[in-house]
Amino acid sequence: MLDTTTIPLAVLLFPGGLFALAFGLALKGLDRRVAARLQGRVGPPLAQPFFDLVKLARKRTMVPDIAAEPVFLGAPLIGAVSMLLCAALVPIPGVYAPNPMLGDLLVLLYLLAVPAVVLMIAGSASGSPFGAIGFSREMALMLAYEGPLVLVVAAVALRVGSFSLTDIVAYQQTHGAFLFDPVLWPALAAFLAFYPANLGIVPFDIPEAETEVLEGPLLEYSGPALGLFKVMSALKAVVVLGLGVALFLPLAPDGLAGLAVHLAKLVVLMILGVTLLRVSMGRMRIDQAFAFFLKWPLALSLLSLAIVALA
Amino acid sequence: MTLMQTLTEKAKNLAVRSPWIYRINAGSCNGCDVECATTALIPRYDVERLGCQYCGSPRHADIVLITGPLTARIKEDVLRVFAEIPDPKVTVAVGVCPISGGIFRESYAVNAEVDHYLPVDINVPGCPPRPQAIIEGVAQAIALWRQRI
Ligand code: SF4
Repeated sequence: MLDTTTIPLAVLLFPGGLFALAFGLALKGLDRRVAARLQGRVGPPLAQPFFDLVKLARKRTMVPDIAAEPVFLGAPLIGAVSMLLCAALVPIPGVYAPNPMLGDLLVLLYLLAVPAVVLMIAGSASGSPFGAIGFSREMALMLAYEGPLVLVVAAVALRVGSFSLTDIVAYQQTHGAFLFDPVLWPALAAFLAFYPANLGIVPFDIPEAETEVLEGPLLEYSGPALGLFKVMSALKAVVVLGLGVALFLPLAPDGLAGLAVHLAKLVVLMILGVTLLRVSMGRMRIDQAFAFFLKWPLALSLLSLAIVALA
Repeated sequence: MTLMQTLTEKAKNLAVRSPWIYRINAGSCNGCDVECATTALIPRYDVERLGCQYCGSPRHADIVLITGPLTARIKEDVLRVFAEIPDPKVTVAVGVCPISGGIFRESYAVNAEVDHYLPVDINVPGCPPRPQAIIEGVAQAIALWRQRI
């Protein structure tokens, strides 16, 4: 176990900060490469998102005339910083336990909602009509998937009797992973539907739909500001997948082997839940996605909560 | 100073591996656009392996592909969109239309040559050009872009 008092280190270097960013970018690169292979193409190199980031850092940031400049430029910064904090809140089983001072699962839930909110603000602050459409779609989608997530987390927390992710991980290490616990299977299914939506990939990339609303909220961004959004989404991938691992399958050996197992799990989640999904499906309409989330994941997570409460 | 220079060189080398492409249709007959969109960028030719990515927004673009003879109707809009593209950028004129007006050259409705209005860096002639030619144009644009970024 790392010394849990070193909060700045945890936020800036490991497991948050640089480490999470590097791994998040690698995950994105892997996703693009595997997707290209599945489509019969060669695909970009694994480090492509990293090249993109360096390129964006060297470009000029343009602010539209009608944009609210402080909000327009502040939004990506807030998004990236919130995800930076988030990354330090997710435990790596056997390697890292977040300091309780830093926050628990509830803080994580709130911070996890920040990127979507930031995208909405960015879209409306840019003054572009496409940004406004992105704004309304993002809001509808967020309303749809945030409810199931909260219920899933509540179900798991109720089962363990604690809102601390460290306790949740410890509980599963003694009692067995929730992945094999039928009581929580509905919650698991709801989470599996939630995370592609939260990561904004193809069946659910409605707010940023490139071919319809030209990347919506991101339309007017260029240069370093756009780069910050890329940083945000790379970190978010690590956070959301890491949360899934902590909630449902946190069994891992101690030390370096534990870290390797953790990273391998994230890679599997990324390829199965994101890459395969996005190359095999078309985009949903916003009303379809909304109805889907209110029908299945919400019902499943409610069911799970009810069973846990009764059991 | 020298350290700064080597770092800048390193950053440049990484940055040129991520050229994002944006297309402007300046009143083309769509022949060149079909070649750009479907042929040059479908799996068979896959310019994503060069790090290229099609972007929907002019603000994300590094390399601009312009097709068509810049018709009178669309001229102002093309100039406006072009101004929205952040520097450094490279402009590639695809097809014979932007060079001379092509089959439309005697028309009252076109403003060819395009390089009277926009700083065209590379011409890819052909009516429409072959995908291989477009890819070569993009590759030359990347080389030029390296000097600017
Ligand atoms: S060069 Fe030929 S194919 Fe291309 S836009 Fe002009 S007329 Fe059409």
